[in-house]
Amino acid sequence: MHGSRQTSFIAASLALLVSLGCDSQIDRFETNRVFSLTLARSQSLEMVEAEADVARTLDSLFGTPNAPKWPKALLDKLELESPVDFDNLKRAAGRISSEQDGTHLGLFREHCVVCHGVAGSGAGPASQFQDPYPRDFRHGVFKWKSTKRASKPTREDLEKLLQHGVSGTGMPSFSLLASEDVDALVDYVIYLSIRGEVERRLLVRTVSDLDYGGEVAPGDEHRLTYPASEAVEEVVEAAVKRVVKQWVIAADEVVQPTDQITRLSGDELRESIERGKAWFHGPIANCVGCHGVEGNGRVETLDYDDWTKEYTTRLGLTPTDQDSMQPFRNLGALTPRPIVPRNLQVGVFRSGDDASRLYRLITQGIAGTPMPGVLRVDEENGKGLTETQVWDLVRYLQSFGSESL
Amino acid sequence: MLGRGSSGQTSSPPARLLHRLAVVAVCLVWPLIWVGGLVTTYDAGMSVPDWPGTYGYNLFLYPLGTWMFGPFDLFIEHGHRLLGALVGFVAILIVIAAYRREPRRWVRLLTVALLVAVISQGLLGGLRVVLSDRTLAMVHGCVGPAFFALCVATAVITSRTWWSMGSEEGSPKVGLSRLVFATVGAMLILSYLQIILGAKVRHVQPTAEPGQFTTTVAQHVSVAVFLWILGSFAYLRLRRCGDLTLSRPGVALLGLVSLQIGLGVFTWVANYGWPGILGLRMIQAIPGAAGYLIQAKGFWDSIIVTSHVAIGSLILAFSTLLFLRVARVRVCCKAANSLPVTAVSTAALGH
Repeated sequence: MHGSRQTSFIAASLALLVSLGCDSQIDRFETNRVFSLTLARSQSLEMVEAEADVARTLDSLFGTPNAPKWPKALLDKLELESPVDFDNLKRAAGRISSEQDGTHLGLFREHCVVCHGVAGSGAGPASQFQDPYPRDFRHGVFKWKSTKRASKPTREDLEKLLQHGVSGTGMPSFSLLASEDVDALVDYVIYLSIRGEVERRLLVRTVSDLDYGGEVAPGDEHRLTYPASEAVEEVVEAAVKRVVKQWVIAADEVVQPTDQITRLSGDELRESIERGKAWFHGPIANCVGCHGVEGNGRVETLDYDDWTKEYTTRLGLTPTDQDSMQPFRNLGALTPRPIVPRNLQVGVFRSGDDASRLYRLITQGIAGTPMPGVLRVDEENGKGLTETQVWDLVRYLQSFGSESL
Repeated sequence: MLGRGSSGQTSSPPARLLHRLAVVAVCLVWPLIWVGGLVTTYDAGMSVPDWPGTYGYNLFLYPLGTWMFGPFDLFIEHGHRLLGALVGFVAILIVIAAYRREPRRWVRLLTVALLVAVISQGLLGGLRVVLSDRTLAMVHGCVGPAFFALCVATAVITSRTWWSMGSEEGSPKVGLSRLVFATVGAMLILSYLQIILGAKVRHVQPTAEPGQFTTTVAQHVSVAVFLWILGSFAYLRLRRCGDLTLSRPGVALLGLVSLQIGLGVFTWVANYGWPGILGLRMIQAIPGAAGYLIQAKGFWDSIIVTSHVAIGSLILAFSTLLFLRVARVRVCCKAANSLPVTAVSTAALGH
């Protein structure tokens, strides 16, 4: 009797331990419900059916966090190169582990998921502590890149970003990782971004092309799935093609100055910096409007990044109105935070402070933020800056930092 | 249990071997916690996917060269297992020593509990690997410090100091108020709660809501502040109590809690950078903060993060030691004197 009580106690203890030791299941990527609600609000639609069918379609195309898929056959059919290496995807996905030779698996969960979240939503557990918030890859918008404002970054851009990190933010440098690991993470980030952007496009297309949005779900013929009827497949393929193609052509969209910056010193340098200061304060670049006379960013601005604006000001909602924001927050949106112009006096540029990066920053602005690009002109015309003038401005910006010219 | 025998005197001499083995266990378990912490810091928990063996080998027969000169993850995970096994052997010796020489039945039972605890902890570690379960890793990380505290308790209650408090000549000269006892007891409970909260932060689930994580971090910070306040109070009450076995751990405890708060700040910064909730302008006002770059898997960052884990366990250990000694003093004073404890305390503390 005594023995059986002990056995029961041990069994109960083990059961408790096992129940305590159940990890939360990561069987599927979470749906982008914030965007779904944004669509529902903007067009007074019912999105429940669309959400479910888009999620199923994405599962069939891209798999799950533990078992990713890559729609290689579809890309072949669309005559598109693959911007992602599937073997790398498998390495970066799934649970964290490593092999006897030291190869790490589950890299995204090891290094990224706490901030960026499982689906790359930028709303991971530690996201609230970051300012700016971690990037939401699903918009397909990246700030730090060598390409045009509206273009995707190149692979090299993402590799450099991972290698160098972003100073002054929660984004670490992964320079101590094996280059294969960084490569695999780049592939996984591109994968999440493509998956997330296809999801957004499909959510839009379900209501614009496939009769979703009402109280009654569309008939089987128009129901979103893949493979499906020709009409439905066209919708899916168009979404995939549009997103993937942007990644494939990114390398052709790199912004290059005609000539590299000339190294100046002494009076020449001082004069160039003075001219740059004049452009900084002048009406064409008008940097002073946000960054302040001293470049200290102490100008009252009340603006938000595009990730936030999508479900706030563009819907006519006030980001500071908690009641308006609550439904979005309930679905995983982070509390809107105003975007603050950079204090240049600190001398830290998140894009990196080498001249070519600053050149791109000035001429392209920063995607997803209110920072505009300055028009680059060949001749002075009062509407833009010539390349020489942009270099003057670059030297002025660098004069805030420590890098010697 | 904490007091004297029925006669008011301890009749048997202390079991020296038992005490020495308990001290050896304490000295082994803290490094074990360090290595275990490193395993988590480097996400090396799954670097050996099988258990109880290592890549098909018996734990003790895994080739030394492959272990020593293989990948760092494998080095620390296999090392953690070997060290854990060594602690297990010591725990067996402790039980044997207790049953040979230790006169107190409850101490003998405690040593059995110690052995059960180390076996359970090994099983937990094994289950964590076999099930590849992060939550079990968290439970394993919480049981480790509890086991460490148990080792410390065994060392304390088998020490000469403990025995001498029960003798006429070693009878405590000081009395301690109930408030001091409650303070040290609260520190013991809170320091363990703090370890659980820290483990929740460290082993956060990928699917956890940002709000949940923020709440856990806020609780962790609040408990740290509360522990520091309690530590300061205990230090002020113990520093001139006339008993170095109490005042020294009191000083150490306050020092460790202060150090731990500093390490906690650096641990956070090393993992997540300066928190955005401080506001961009405040961060820019902190020297070096605006341009601070987190280095993933940086050596010194890993050492800071892991030492935060290890010092947390050390705080629990000192809280355990202090709690037991304070409790012993109170019990012995009650038994030795007919004077009310509060009167002794007041006199001893010079109030």
